[in-house]
Amino acid sequence: MLTCKEFDDFMVDYLDNGLPVWQKFMCWLHVKMCAECAEFVREYNHTIKLGKNACDAPDAPVSDAVPEELIKAALAHRKKK
Amino acid sequence: MAATSDPVEHMNTRPPADNEMAESIASNDDALIDCLREGENDCYETLVRQFGPGVLSTAKRYLRSESDAHDCFQETFIAVFQGIDKFEKRSSIGTWIRRITINQCLMKIRAHGRRHEESIEHLLPEFDENGDRISSVSPDRASAKIDPVDRSRTKRFVRDKIDELPDTYRVMLLLRDIDGYSTKEAAAIQGISLTAAKTRLHRARSALKSLLEPILEHLEYHADM
Repeated sequence: MLTCKEFDDFMVDYLDNGLPVWQKFMCWLHVKMCAECAEFVREYNHTIKLGKNACDAPDAPVSDAVPEELIKAALAHRKKK
Repeated sequence: MAATSDPVEHMNTRPPADNEMAESIASNDDALIDCLREGENDCYETLVRQFGPGVLSTAKRYLRSESDAHDCFQETFIAVFQGIDKFEKRSSIGTWIRRITINQCLMKIRAHGRRHEESIEHLLPEFDENGDRISSVSPDRASAKIDPVDRSRTKRFVRDKIDELPDTYRVMLLLRDIDGYSTKEAAAIQGISLTAAKTRLHRARSALKSLLEPILEHLEYHADM
């Protein structure tokens, strides 16, 4: 069985479903057998989701209006044809 | 140019099927690109007004100062104006502009040097001599207080914690987990190997998890917001 450290080294590929079948099985088995790593994976996945939601959210800076002077300054740079 | 020939106005108003949507976007892109290449003033304005908010929000996400984000906005559109004749339409114009924006941001971050490159070792998982994970439950966790209804504050808290990460890790996290690039694409954008990108990503996620840990149980209620 993998140690926690070995599992940790595989984690990105494991969660991306990017491991060969045998390594994927070894990681899956480790998570089933190790409560500490199972908890770590659960919180790690929540962290990814929270980050995405926080930046995608309607109140994120995404909805900021562009100041009119910024638009005018950009247009002033436009390539003359 | 007459207002009725604005490419944006040709968009279908009913909800189209996925393939119709893709065709519609491609058709609008083509009209806008042709118009830009002809040097129509209205089209340049349409471009800046249509894609400006996305450029600015991306710049604000990657850069730590409002003034740097504004500089990046200008530099992005200069690069777009200069590059429009060479744009090969291998992606949508929006995707192309976003990539230019991120490249401009990364150049600016590199120009600022290693100002935000503090160590994150203390935020990473620890293992004993047998390779067993050492529990990292924060003593503050049980006593942490956050109002589960205050979603806006929660989101700000998460964004603030992302901003606490050193640039090397923050950029990797933004590219992969927020902007949705694959790990391979994120590696290429940063000019690093795929192996280095995976290591950087895992360290970034692990460090962010540690930063969120004191209130993670509470925040989990917000994971689907």
